[in-house]
Amino acid sequence: MNLTDYEESMLQGREGALKQKAMEVIVRYANVLEAEELCQVTKAHLHCGAHHYLKAIKSGSIDSIISQMYFCSSQTIPLESVTCDCVSDVGPMCPFDWDQMGVTMEEFERDQEFLNHYVAAGVKLYGSCVPYLLGFIPLMGEHYVTSESHVVLMVNSIWGACGNSDGIEAGFCSAICGRTPLWGNHIMSNRKGTHVFEIQSSVETVFDWDVLGFTIGRKLPLHSIPILAGNFTRPDIYKLKACYASMATRSGPEMCHIVGITPEAITLEQALGNKKPQDTITITDKDLAETLNVFQGEGDVDYIGLGCPHYSLEEIRQVATFLEGKSISSHVVLHIWTSYAFKAMADQCGYTKMIERAGGRILTSSCPTTHDRLPAGITSLAFDSSKQAQDYLFSLSSPVFFGSMTDCLNAAIRGKWEGRR
Amino acid sequence: MNRVLYGRGAIPGAAEGFALVSRESIQGWSGLDLKTGVVIEKGHPFEGRTIKDAVLILPGGKGSNGWSIQFHSAKIAGIGPAAFVFPKMDSRTGVTAAVMCVPVVTDIEEDVFAIIKTGDWVRVDGDQGTIEVWNNELES
Repeated sequence: MNLTDYEESMLQGREGALKQKAMEVIVRYANVLEAEELCQVTKAHLHCGAHHYLKAIKSGSIDSIISQMYFCSSQTIPLESVTCDCVSDVGPMCPFDWDQMGVTMEEFERDQEFLNHYVAAGVKLYGSCVPYLLGFIPLMGEHYVTSESHVVLMVNSIWGACGNSDGIEAGFCSAICGRTPLWGNHIMSNRKGTHVFEIQSSVETVFDWDVLGFTIGRKLPLHSIPILAGNFTRPDIYKLKACYASMATRSGPEMCHIVGITPEAITLEQALGNKKPQDTITITDKDLAETLNVFQGEGDVDYIGLGCPHYSLEEIRQVATFLEGKSISSHVVLHIWTSYAFKAMADQCGYTKMIERAGGRILTSSCPTTHDRLPAGITSLAFDSSKQAQDYLFSLSSPVFFGSMTDCLNAAIRGKWEGRR
Repeated sequence: MNRVLYGRGAIPGAAEGFALVSRESIQGWSGLDLKTGVVIEKGHPFEGRTIKDAVLILPGGKGSNGWSIQFHSAKIAGIGPAAFVFPKMDSRTGVTAAVMCVPVVTDIEEDVFAIIKTGDWVRVDGDQGTIEVWNNELES
């Protein structure tokens, strides 16, 4: 493959041991993909924190763990500094109310050590899976990396930026050497749609868009690029957040055009690159109902988690307004997950107090799935996100309910899941 | 040996083991128990089977961008797969190959999923780009 003089210099170790190790991984990754060259990464969204998968490494030194896991190096190399605009993804706990999810003081302190280590290297603590709501917005044609699957769909599709679903280790390596393989969505001509989804079902609410994303994910062949077309009402960014989150989790697309909404799909012809689609798939109400069949049942519920992906301030406001003058059942734990920037704004707006008065809590910088645990005594769960609900369907034998924000809040008040409205 | 399949060696080295084969990819994040290496994705053909020392043959990655790190963490814990076969490479599987450094063969034109069955014994040679297959008469 072709490397620039500077890239070759990094690979030879002339720019330091850390850049060398990072480049070795990136060049190996490029060779696996048969990429002919690398491109410059300017933004990175990184999975910082003492995450559960790091427990495989028994050594105590953070640099040793990072070296082995992210830079594939048995030799310990200090994490000196990142080279581009780097922000953190969710961590394994809320840094303020960590005890709410059963995290111990020892685990909290360990996580803080990790986070401080990353901050010292230049990573800014966003602690969020929705960094684009906080200013992480690569522009059209800008190359970025992210550890969050729906961020790839959002940022590629809505802003025309260039990223692949290449995950956690490659993200750290790109943050250090500032390079990623010029491959996949980093090449604009690779981003044309392959499958047209003709939406004939009624999609209005955030919940509908979540279900639509999951449904398309069920029907989408691997390695294809969907185009959404049809006479649906224009979605806003919150609806697309829900749609892209469920679609990315159920399947794995990295680009999803929406005709008339996303910039590379002003028209259907443009989205297709003036080619014929490989397939056209009609989505009806029946298809959405089939998706919902996965999430059925009624019964007691004792944990309700909202905010997957992290809630925006507007969604927090909706919860606060709904809960005003109401109180949730005494045996229900209601957590609203967001970034701490939005939590601080919610404090200012009075939303946090409104939610707490009703018995709920706003937690930040994490989510139930990234905790790898639930509060003690919790057996039945409800979420307003099929992404989160699906994750728990795999690991729990007890019921996992999925409904709209309102369904979840009604269940929190009654202490029972009585189906969807 | 019953068959040899030819592709491109993506990561060098050779390894052999029982094949775990599925046309349906698996969830890395939340689909795998990292303490045991057992696949917990409900309804998946691999559910209840361990990835330890297996040769995973999958069409690609799906779900979380954290696909690679689940397998990588399993490898470091000593419960990882012996080799991978990805007939077509994508970004999730590409990173997995690059960080795991176990033998990987890709770019295979033949329909691997029709030829190799779960339980067959396979040898993946990432230097030659070959996959040797010994059919398991018991499982097939």
